[in-house]
Amino acid sequence: VTGPLDFDALASRKKLESIGNVVLVGSGKGGVGKTLVTCGLALSLARRGLRTAIFDMDVHGASVPSYLGVKPPVRSSADGLEPKRKEGVAVMSLALFTGENPIPVRGQSKQGLLTQLFSLTNWGELDYLVVDLPPGTGDELLASLSLFGHKSRMILVTTPSKDALGVVARLGRLARAEKLSVAGAVINMAYVRGRSGKTFPFGRPDKTKISRALGAPIVAELPLDPDVSSKGISKVLASDTGISQGILSLSRLVMKGHDRRAGVPKRGNRRSR
Amino acid sequence: LHELGIAQNIVESAMDEAAKAGARRVVSIEIDVGELMQLEIPVLENALAALMVDPRLRGAQVTVRSVPAKFSCNRCGSEWGMDEARQQLGLVAENLRVQEPDSVELPLHFLPSLFPVFLKCPSCGTADTKALDGESIVVRRMVME
Repeated sequence: VTGPLDFDALASRKKLESIGNVVLVGSGKGGVGKTLVTCGLALSLARRGLRTAIFDMDVHGASVPSYLGVKPPVRSSADGLEPKRKEGVAVMSLALFTGENPIPVRGQSKQGLLTQLFSLTNWGELDYLVVDLPPGTGDELLASLSLFGHKSRMILVTTPSKDALGVVARLGRLARAEKLSVAGAVINMAYVRGRSGKTFPFGRPDKTKISRALGAPIVAELPLDPDVSSKGISKVLASDTGISQGILSLSRLVMKGHDRRAGVPKRGNRRSR
Repeated sequence: LHELGIAQNIVESAMDEAAKAGARRVVSIEIDVGELMQLEIPVLENALAALMVDPRLRGAQVTVRSVPAKFSCNRCGSEWGMDEARQQLGLVAENLRVQEPDSVELPLHFLPSLFPVFLKCPSCGTADTKALDGESIVVRRMVME
């Protein structure tokens, strides 16, 4: 044999054997709330005692670490790079190696970087890996399909804005063309709750129309809630808010019909399942 | 520690290739280690020797070669090597270095493709650069029978 052996891909496949379910959170559009949904879903699953991690696949605009308040440095052990922990959720992101520096890498390098980071991370055994995808349908999305395709489902995130919806619908079409199941869609910034009740910054969302455009059931409508910025997602989830109710519906959908431990063999029981 | 993980991956990949090819045994493996990763080659060699216990791999001749790093600028076309790069890598913030149990390593030790984050063109200062050689670790050649 001559030529490079892709041992990162082989190592990634082995890591994936210990992960039960992969949920890709994507939109195709920037600024619609993918990271809010990713972090909310992961924290919600972890609060149910499920072994949960977040893989931030946004190369150029990684924001999961700052969203959850986890910081460099990363430690390594005999088992690989140790993810950061936030309330039971393991977190790995390129931003944990680059801090505030921009990551000016070209397309071809991105898939390699993400595959390497996934394969080097000590994820342990997981019930759920929640993946925060960047905007667009380019390298990072294609890398996620290569890494997780057969084991993953997608959650689409949109706002009710007509412009956002058109872009998110494109991602939905690509996902279906790639035979990826789109489990549901979240409408973010659906309303703002004020003293006089709900107001709708993008107009009242037509759920039937949005669902039809995205080809997926609407699982939650999340408000634009300033408390997410001021208090943090963790505190918002802990109280009875539109965000916490919506994320609860989403986590129920994600868990529905799935063996929570599917694909995660118990130690010493690998062959009997 | 990272050398041990790499050795494990090489051994598993070699086993995988041998199985795919239906080979009885691996005669030799040639590995190129990019200088940018700053791996300890003797440590990698020792780890490989310790891990190659499968009958198909035992006795295979292992050659590990260090490949000098060479970079080029996509804007002005300048080329430079590890000496210039080392000066810039010395400036990487302490909090971005990975904490190993007995050492502290640059992020590039694990993720060499991140080099444009830390290395700029010494001539024009752009981060729009590419590695011509010595960036990664590659199993260059494997002979089986």
